[in-house]
Amino acid sequence: MGKRLAVCAVAQIKNHPDYHYLRFQNMLLECFESIMEQTKVTFDMEKGIRTIISCSDDMFDARTISDNGVTDVMGAHFRGEEKMAQESINGLGYAMACILSGHDDVILFMGHCKESQGESRRMISNLAYDPFYCRPLGMDYHNVDAMQARAYMEKSNVTDEHLAKIVVRSRANGKKNPYGRENKIVSEKDVLNSPMYSDPLREMHIYPVTDWAYGMLLCCEERAKEFTKNPVWITGYGSCMDRYFLGDKDFTSNFSLKNAAKRAYKMAGIKDPKKDIQVFELSDHAAYQLPMWAEGVGIAEEGRGGRWIDDGGMDKFNVNLSGGQLNGNPLLLGGAARAIECYYQLSKQAGERQIKGAKRAVAQAATGGAGQHQAVIVMEA
Amino acid sequence: MAEYWGVKVEDIFNTMKERFRPEGAKDVDAVFGYDIADEGKWRLTVTNNTMLLEKTDTLAGCVSTMSADGETFVGVNTGKVDATNAFMSGKFKVEGDMGAFGKTGKLFRKFVIPKKEMTTKEYLADMFATIVPRFKAKEAEGLEASFGFDLGGPDGGKWTVFIKDKVCTVTTSIEGKPTVTLEFNDAKDYVDFILGKIDAQSILAAGKASAKGDINMMASKWPILFEKYKDPMAGAVQEQELLVLKKTISLNEKFSTGPIMGKFLKGLKDKKIFANKCPECGRLQLPPREVCAECRVRAGEMVEVGPKGEVRYMDIVYYAMPDPLTGVARETPYGSIFILFDGCKGNETLPHFIRKDQIEKIQMGWNEKKGTRVRPVWEENRIGDIWDIQYFEIDE
Repeated sequence: MGKRLAVCAVAQIKNHPDYHYLRFQNMLLECFESIMEQTKVTFDMEKGIRTIISCSDDMFDARTISDNGVTDVMGAHFRGEEKMAQESINGLGYAMACILSGHDDVILFMGHCKESQGESRRMISNLAYDPFYCRPLGMDYHNVDAMQARAYMEKSNVTDEHLAKIVVRSRANGKKNPYGRENKIVSEKDVLNSPMYSDPLREMHIYPVTDWAYGMLLCCEERAKEFTKNPVWITGYGSCMDRYFLGDKDFTSNFSLKNAAKRAYKMAGIKDPKKDIQVFELSDHAAYQLPMWAEGVGIAEEGRGGRWIDDGGMDKFNVNLSGGQLNGNPLLLGGAARAIECYYQLSKQAGERQIKGAKRAVAQAATGGAGQHQAVIVMEA
Repeated sequence: MAEYWGVKVEDIFNTMKERFRPEGAKDVDAVFGYDIADEGKWRLTVTNNTMLLEKTDTLAGCVSTMSADGETFVGVNTGKVDATNAFMSGKFKVEGDMGAFGKTGKLFRKFVIPKKEMTTKEYLADMFATIVPRFKAKEAEGLEASFGFDLGGPDGGKWTVFIKDKVCTVTTSIEGKPTVTLEFNDAKDYVDFILGKIDAQSILAAGKASAKGDINMMASKWPILFEKYKDPMAGAVQEQELLVLKKTISLNEKFSTGPIMGKFLKGLKDKKIFANKCPECGRLQLPPREVCAECRVRAGEMVEVGPKGEVRYMDIVYYAMPDPLTGVARETPYGSIFILFDGCKGNETLPHFIRKDQIEKIQMGWNEKKGTRVRPVWEENRIGDIWDIQYFEIDE
């Protein structure tokens, strides 16, 4: 096994529909102070934090170079600071490269997003598409996801009833997560009656508008004990960018996720994810993605997502015990939320959601409509 | 009339009618003047989505008049001169209603410099100048020959192309007795023949041309020895206007102020200026922020400073961007200042504007040197935002 990256501590604020009384700086500051308190890490130039990696989005913050608005509350003044303007899970990959290459040995990794600030997150994801053709057609992550949903559901025999089951379970699990967004507990019937957004996606099938921030202290293997008695290890990372133009792509292929997972598993020495991994956190921006990503990471058979749900696959493989992205995390931060849940499980801090004897976990996240860019990390106790 | 980049001032005006865009004239009802030094004056009337351009002696009654020299005018219209620089340096002036003149930008499609046609003389020069580069030496193995060209008419001339030892040379006369000599009564026919506009048979049949010597050498060998002449004007269609999609991206935002910025803004409502103080280093920050960035600790203590202070840094802005929040152009010039309030020290300064008529009277401070003393002028109805202070003025 190769070298590994230690997660020494995590911090987060509760996922919330609208922190109207806080700037995102205030949200981050809570996490920053928690990390300092937990680890007693300093900003000493010899032994402390010299590198900060942040994750945020210019469009959601409505400012260019969005990291510059928050450097002070991340302790980043007079230190190296770089931003991941992509799914936060890639910040972990970036930190891993930074530490395993020997560039630095302690990294503070923080992220924020206030989805409630802008008038419409769909207007923002519309801007992810080219201005001449796809934007005027009104493409955004929701209706592009819906297009994938229809194709995937047909391929894998996933029904409206299956999606209702996923939503009900997500909210029930989210209730057990003290940092989870507080959503109404619903029945399958409620989900089946929820308004149609883009057929086949209903309102309740899509993760709700959420504000959130987090922090993580990461370091090299040799120094982990300085900051925690109980480190969790990141042992594998892989990512893959699928075709950008949707017309070029097979919506149901899971191409980029399979590639990302393959690379992460290889790095971590995972031969059979079904046997080797006890916890899976998948970033289901919409309910149909849970079985689809389950196929992609190799715990559901290709084209059998519906059957896998019927057979109890979600509980058998301990998928999204946190409630998943579907219960509410902001765009781009779902991957960090998934990794933080894996950290809790592997360090036995998951409370009511704790799985006994969890040794390895997988966190997955996607950026873009229809799961364009995918990344997977493998974590170990 | 002088030409600049091959374009006359009149070319710009003469093409206005065909470049006119009625869709750009929807909300325009005005008369504009153009005064081009040493060239003349033009009056442009735009009303009801139509335009009328007249050359005139007087520009009285125009809502706005632009003046420039010919070179600047042509340069700006053809994109050879940067309009902003021309405007800033005073080479391109607008008198009268500046805002109205701004609308003329939408009235016309861009002027495109037309490509000129090549003359017979230019073609002949180009055709013979490219003979050596077009020569395929490997086809000339063991060949020794010369090709004479005797082309008549006003643009004509004489050339000989020699091939020996796989080397090709060209002279501008007929030397000795070429292996074959091509004679054309009018060089223009030769050019058209090479360009493929007329065929050899019809020229020969009409007696306009003839070949002497080894005709086969010219008819069969020449096309193998030389790459075909490429017309530099081929495909030279009128330059096309590039399609550009113009869009304003707008997204309504709700920026929470949070507890720290919130207190600062509420202070302005009460005519008070608050800084926050670091509990460790004692440094003040204006406007206040959540933490002392240098000590990495919360800095929640609010300290009232000013409201009077001295000018530290300053600049005078002549060329302003529009306010991104309103789209309204800021009125220029305006003076930006950083104020060191009473109770602050070092770099604990806050920016705002200085009263317009006092721009020239203020001095900035530097190290021990004192800057001009200023005080805020408060808005009557304050709502808790930056414009609760209208501007600062000299505290006399």
